[in-house]
This record gives sequence, structure tokens and C-alpha cells, in this order.
Amino acid sequence: MSDSKRLHPIVSILTAGKRVRNILPFFITILIAGGRESKLSLLISLGISLVIFILTLLTGILSWLRFTYRFEENELRIEYGVFVRKKRYIPLERIQSINYTEGLIQQMFGLVKVRIETAGGENEDEAVFSAITKEEAQLIQEYVSTAKQESRIIKTVEEDQKVFSMSTSELLILSLTSGGVGVVISAVFALFSQLDDWIPYKKIFGGLEEWALKNIMAIMVVVFIGFFLAWVISLFITMLKYANFTVVRTEGDFIISYGLIEKKQMTIPLRRIQAIRIKENILRQMIGYATVYIVSAGSGSAENQEETKVILLPIIRIKDIAPLLQESLPDYQLEPILISPPKRALHRYIFRTWYVIVPIVLASILFLKAWGALSLVLFAVGTIWAILKYKDAGWCLEGKQLSLRYRTIIRTTVLMQKNRIQSLKMRENYFQQKRELGTIEAFVKSGSGDSWAAVVDLEKGDIQKIYQWYSRKRPKETAG
Amino acid sequence: MVLNPQKMISNKALTVWRISGIIKSLIGWAVTGTALFLLHIFDLPFWISMILIVLGVLFPILDIFVIPMLRWRSYRYEVREEEMELKEGIFTKTRTLVPMIRVQHVDTNQGPLLRKYKLASVVVHTAATAHIIPALEEEEAEELRFFISKLARAAEDDV
Repeated sequence: MSDSKRLHPIVSILTAGKRVRNILPFFITILIAGGRESKLSLLISLGISLVIFILTLLTGILSWLRFTYRFEENELRIEYGVFVRKKRYIPLERIQSINYTEGLIQQMFGLVKVRIETAGGENEDEAVFSAITKEEAQLIQEYVSTAKQESRIIKTVEEDQKVFSMSTSELLILSLTSGGVGVVISAVFALFSQLDDWIPYKKIFGGLEEWALKNIMAIMVVVFIGFFLAWVISLFITMLKYANFTVVRTEGDFIISYGLIEKKQMTIPLRRIQAIRIKENILRQMIGYATVYIVSAGSGSAENQEETKVILLPIIRIKDIAPLLQESLPDYQLEPILISPPKRALHRYIFRTWYVIVPIVLASILFLKAWGALSLVLFAVGTIWAILKYKDAGWCLEGKQLSLRYRTIIRTTVLMQKNRIQSLKMRENYFQQKRELGTIEAFVKSGSGDSWAAVVDLEKGDIQKIYQWYSRKRPKETAG
Repeated sequence: MVLNPQKMISNKALTVWRISGIIKSLIGWAVTGTALFLLHIFDLPFWISMILIVLGVLFPILDIFVIPMLRWRSYRYEVREEEMELKEGIFTKTRTLVPMIRVQHVDTNQGPLLRKYKLASVVVHTAATAHIIPALEEEEAEELRFFISKLARAAEDDV
């Protein structure tokens, strides 16, 4: 049906580069260790590094040579492996989705990275082409879609529909309200702690304490500028990552594409959607915005974890969610009216936070005296947080849908269809039992974690209602 | 209104859990003994040793006598045509519903202790979760596994 093909030669360098990066710490260690002893040992360790480096390059080229793919008898057949030769045959109709990524290197050569996903939950069931020409990618796409159409009897021709495209102001709001700043700051700290050996901190900060007392203002300004810079950098990273975010709905898929430097395109089959998660961090909640994720039952390999929890709408006004998505997701009730836990649950929410916080507060007041009083702020924040958790908790049953809402730090609403829930738990501990409260937990399938939703301290009767709704057993009239 | 599942697991489970409690305690004592010896050598305060000794008495009592009994008494299960229901937990009582159409596969497991007493545990897997019925009679476990996989196959449905 078609000849064996190879990936673009650049792949050999990409593979080698990735491997070199993995063993880089090893290089650095032996160079430093060797360099300390004498010139000779430095030379030897340099030699060893060079040999390993060349070997890595060679295996990179070899693995590129060995990786071939072809379409044969309605299967995608891949052969690869340098030392252990492997063959992987994927029936075309089992292919669930094809995702594209264009990294910097791929863009420079007009190439694209293609990942082919199948239904199975195991990592083995997928194929990654790290760099092929766009025409080749197009060919693969066509092969797969013709194969799938042959097996499908009816095909309704439908126009592709643009569901969402992010405007510049939305991109700005997204970046401003994202928590990326924390990541950047910790990266900077990590970097500095790594440089420990190179920068003589001791010398620089010798007379630190006296100096610091004199220049406390200056230090605060520097720290502030540092934070500000970190925030600006994170702003740019978010903007580059999510620029040009568009969602298009075809006959049976969502096609999501985004990114400026690294362009990504993902296909999510609508019928593989397991649940919808609406997340609002505190900033976004205050201005009425949220992020919408879909939990999809893709294959869950480690590098693929992000994609099992796909961002469908990175930033959206809450009241726009339903109008945008209702047509594509007709089964879902996107604006559930939630029922809160009863009033008597409030102090359980508060006490649960106090169990953790009060010992900390007491200990710090005991040991730190006056400064320890600052921990009272923690106490106040914790209590407010607990009240928020109580206020945000809720549930809703509507037809075949169970909606649960809870807050960790971010407020999360999870919408699940009955036939997508894998199992359901209700639990009550001793204290809950006394107050006629309970906890409900529901699980859906996804490639990785995050496939779970739980609400604590709901009315016991409500919990039983949900349990009964999920149960296939007819409730007996006489049962008390 | 919501009926509890009724079936209990084999009462031989009690013996097995007690034996594994004894083994656990023996290992615990070995570790505690070593720790006491070291504490003595390095001349550390006596109250640390005291705490260790108290724990060394308390945990075996719990592991051998209290917990197996409570656990066995509180465990219930029921397998119906369309779903499976479990009830477990001593302090926190948990009830789980698993519809048959969601079951992916069923395993039976048997460690050396369970095998000696002709018991086996049944593990039911869905696409997202795994559920264990511990310590059933061998034949019963085998039957249950067969029964569940038959029902699960009958109710084929997409994920």
C-alpha cells in the first residue's frame, strides 16, 4: 500500500540532543570530579565524556535509521529500535486522535511533530513521529480518516464550526490571573541554589547583617523588583503559550490549537469526553471568569499527562460557557443549580481547618513570643478559607448528570454524566454520622489522575439521593 | 431507604488477619528492640524508650485483637445482576457502587497466608478504580470472579 518511510533526518540530532541532555549532569559531575584532582585526570574525564558524546550521536543516527513506518493492510506499521528491534502495528480504525506540535526546531525546518493516540489506556498504544514534513503529516491524516470513514456507514457532512477563539483582551486577563509567577520564582531560587558552588556567597555576604540593617529599604526594593520581573516573565510565558487559542468543532471532534513559539494542535473526540471541569482561581472568580477543562479518556503515558486534562477554554466569562458549548455538548447541563450543604456542616468545615492551624499558631506563639502573634494572620486566613470552602460546596442532580462543586484552593465544578461515572462512594465517619452528614465521591476515567470529585459534609439524605440515582437497583417500597 | 449490602466475608479471614498482625508485631518488636538498644548505648533520655515500649504494647493489641475483629464485622458486599456494592470501614464507613457495565476485568489474588487457609481476595477493576473483596473461600472467589466477568461481558458498553 505504501513504501516504508523514515522521519526527517533532523530527528537523529533531536534524539541525540535529548539523550545528551539526560546525561548532562553525569558529564558535569565527572568533569568537576576529574578537574579537582589533576590535569591528567581532567584530560581522562574529558576523553570519556567525548567518547560517550560521540556514541550518543551515533545511536541517535542509528535509531533514526531504524525507525520506519508504512501503511499496509489498513494498519500503521512501525519498526524501530537499535539493539532490540520492535514492531508496532496499529489498526487504523483504532486510532482515536492525531495531535500536532510544532516546536522551535520543527518550525525552522517547516516540520511538525505528530502523535497518534489510540483508545487503549496503556502507553504502548501510541506512536510519535518527532519530525516529519507537513505534506507527510497531511498524508497520514488522510490515510487515517479514509480508513475510518470506510468503517463508518453513515457520514453526515457538516461544516466545521468555530467554537471559540481567544481575543487579545482575554489573553491578557488569562496571563494576569495565572499563577505562573510562583513557577518562575521557584525556578530562579532553584537556579541560585544550584550555583552554590560557583558564587562565593560567604565572601559577598560576609558583613551582611550590619549592612542589611542599614539598607533595609534598599533590600525591600530589590526584592520587590525581583518579584515584579518574575511576574512579567511569567506573564510573557503564559501569553506565548496560549496565544491564538482556537477551538473548532468538526463532525465528532474538538480541534484545539494554540501557541506562538511552540504551536500545538489537539483533536479530542467528543464521544471520548468523560467529564467537564470548570475551575476558578480566586482572582478569576472575583472578576467572573473561569477555565474549562475536559477530561478525556486518552492513553495516559507520562509525557502525555497534560493532554488527558485538556484545556478547552483557557479563560471565559462564566455566563458565556453555556452559550458557547451547549451546541457541541448537548448532553451536558452547563449551568447546574447547586444545592449547598446544611448550616450545621459549617462548623465541621471550620474545625477541620483548625485541627491543622491551631497547633501551629499555639506553637509559634509559645516559641516565638511576640513575632509568633503574626501567625494569627494565618489563623484568620485559614478560617476565611474554611468558610469559603463551605460556601462553595454543592451538588446537583439533573437527568443523567451529576454536578459536584468543591474548593481546594481553586473552586472546581465537575460535571459528569451517569454513564461516564466508573464508581461512586458515599462515606460517613463517626462525627458525620452523629450530625447526619456524609461525603460523596465520584470517579471517572482519564489517562492520568484528576479523575475524581468529592464533596464533604452534605446532608445525609442528599447523599443517599445521589447514591440511589446511581444505583441500578429498584428501591423497594417497603424498605425503611 | 438505602438498604445495606448483606453478605459477609469468610470468618477464616479473622484468623488470617490475626496471623499477619502477629507477623507485623514481631517485625515491629525487632525494630523497637534495636531502637531501644541504640537508645541505651547513646544514652538518650529514658522517656523516648518509654514511649517506644508503650507503642510496642499498644500496636500489637490493636493489630492482633481489635482491628481484625472490627474490620471483619464491618465488611459487607453484594453482587447483583447490574451492580456490585461494598461496605467497609471502622471509623469512616464507606459504601461503594460499581455498575457491572463499568467493570473492565476481575482478578483473584492469593498470598501464602490466604492460600494456606484456602481463601482468596477478588479485585474488580473499572477503567478508573479498583475494588477489593478480601478473603473469600477459594471456590466462592472463583465463582464470583466467573460470575462478575460474565455479567460484565453481557453488559458491554463504550467507556
